[in-house]
Amino acid sequence: MQRVRIVLWAAVAIALAAFAFLMLRPVQETPTRQQPLAISSIGGPFTLTGSDGKPFSSASLAGKPYAIFFGFTHCPDVCPTTLARMVRLRQLLGAGDRPFEILFVSVDPERDGSTEVGKYAELFKSPVTGLTGSPAQIEQVKRQYGIFSRKVPDSSGGYSVDHTSTVLLFDRKGDFSGTIASEEKDNAALAKLKRITA
Amino acid sequence: MKRILLAALLLASCSKSGTPDLRISDAWARETVAGQTATAAYMTIDNRGAGDDRLVSVEATAPAKAMLHVSESSGGISRMREMGGGLVLPAGTAVQLKPGGSHVMITGLEAPLQTGEVMKLHLRFEKSGPREVAVSVGAGGR
Repeated sequence: MQRVRIVLWAAVAIALAAFAFLMLRPVQETPTRQQPLAISSIGGPFTLTGSDGKPFSSASLAGKPYAIFFGFTHCPDVCPTTLARMVRLRQLLGAGDRPFEILFVSVDPERDGSTEVGKYAELFKSPVTGLTGSPAQIEQVKRQYGIFSRKVPDSSGGYSVDHTSTVLLFDRKGDFSGTIASEEKDNAALAKLKRITA
Repeated sequence: MKRILLAALLLASCSKSGTPDLRISDAWARETVAGQTATAAYMTIDNRGAGDDRLVSVEATAPAKAMLHVSESSGGISRMREMGGGLVLPAGTAVQLKPGGSHVMITGLEAPLQTGEVMKLHLRFEKSGPREVAVSVGAGGR
């Protein structure tokens, strides 16, 4: 009897340990766990606010290939690096002054008004369309384009934003054509840009 | 194989205690526009000495503040974090602070930084002590 009791208590201890392990182990963050988007459905019509404070409709992109990037103006490294690169690639591509449009959409509408995105876009000394909107509008566009973003507090009392930094490419018909990742080589990126501007 | 890995690991973790000799070059910061209060500065820190060193902190001229940051990207998502514990500068290695990687984040800028301007940053190293670095402001096209 004594033995059985020991065995049973041991089983309880093991079960408790297993339970504790399951409860205490760090939860794997899976920011990429979003609604999977069918390739053909990426994008679609939207209305946001332009740098002039007026509504910007995706209808104005009709017939124009475009590259769209989501970021925020308080982002000092990845966002300007990505946008400056897109401008540089556009110059490398040649094919006229503006073979494709570059769109910058804020994922931080609480801090980025139309003035902020407009000023930020001017940094690149080449046409970049800065867009923002109400938090609800931004959420909607993020869903359409499969974009993740999340605010992360920093030590100075402010916050940074983790966000998808992949550039999405759309052709003249407005169809999703591909992406450009930050680590991708210029040649590969240029080949993709040639495809949308063809 | 395991033994080799272990040996490599031990070797890698063994820090060199000689005297570091730091050369800082190509220090630049991205220009800003009116209303933009943050930017990033980049540079190369070449440790030609026989000992490791560590960049412990960076200060900008008040009211601007500087912090060591690192941008990381995985699964297409980029994150920017403060660099805890500073930046290790191994002997005989040139460490680059560059776009999309380690950088000095500067916040609290009161006026736009214009191309051609020079900004001072005060770097503090664990062994080499304080250093002032002249950072030239440039366009973002690099």
